[in-house]
Amino acid sequence: MLDHLTLMVLHALLIAVFFSFLWKQGRGERWIYFLKVFGALVVGAIALGWLMYPFPHR
Amino acid sequence: MPESPTVRPNANRSPLPVGALLVLAWLLPGLGHVLLGRRLRAVVFAAVILIGFVMGVVLDGELMLPHAGDPLSYLAAFASLGNGALFFIAKYLGLGQGVVTAPGYEFGNTFLLTAGMMNLLLVLDTHDIAVGKKDW
Repeated sequence: MLDHLTLMVLHALLIAVFFSFLWKQGRGERWIYFLKVFGALVVGAIALGWLMYPFPHR
Repeated sequence: MPESPTVRPNANRSPLPVGALLVLAWLLPGLGHVLLGRRLRAVVFAAVILIGFVMGVVLDGELMLPHAGDPLSYLAAFASLGNGALFFIAKYLGLGQGVVTAPGYEFGNTFLLTAGMMNLLLVLDTHDIAVGKKDW
């Protein structure tokens, strides 16, 4: 079983590839958009998890 | 004779009517783009959706169906059905039943639902290319 972080990164990868090919034309433009979306998803998820860390889990 | 208002003169002509093209695009991820000559994008889209779908099934996600009294299940069913033929093949094979107690259940659902929604976006993209709203 893959751990949650790996699954989240894989999911972010798929989403970023999909939208960079859907919305952007040209290799350079796609790479930049891919890196932005992938980075935002991964860093955003980790940041959100970090912010939620102080809250107790019942 | 006046031209259809939804079809522009520079529309990308496919060998099929737009309606049939959209149905095929929904049934097989990437097929709409193949028929419109966008082969590279078709391969990438098909791979992304197939990987997402397989991951969802492997992780014991559920291919949702509508449940009476649960409005959100209708939205989930819509997204699941977005996977086109993959949905029906998996159902036929008894896959995608969803194991609520499995560790990957929620992640599996996420993969299955996003794969379906991405395929529905591809149908819209196919439409835009077919009628000339998008020329690449």
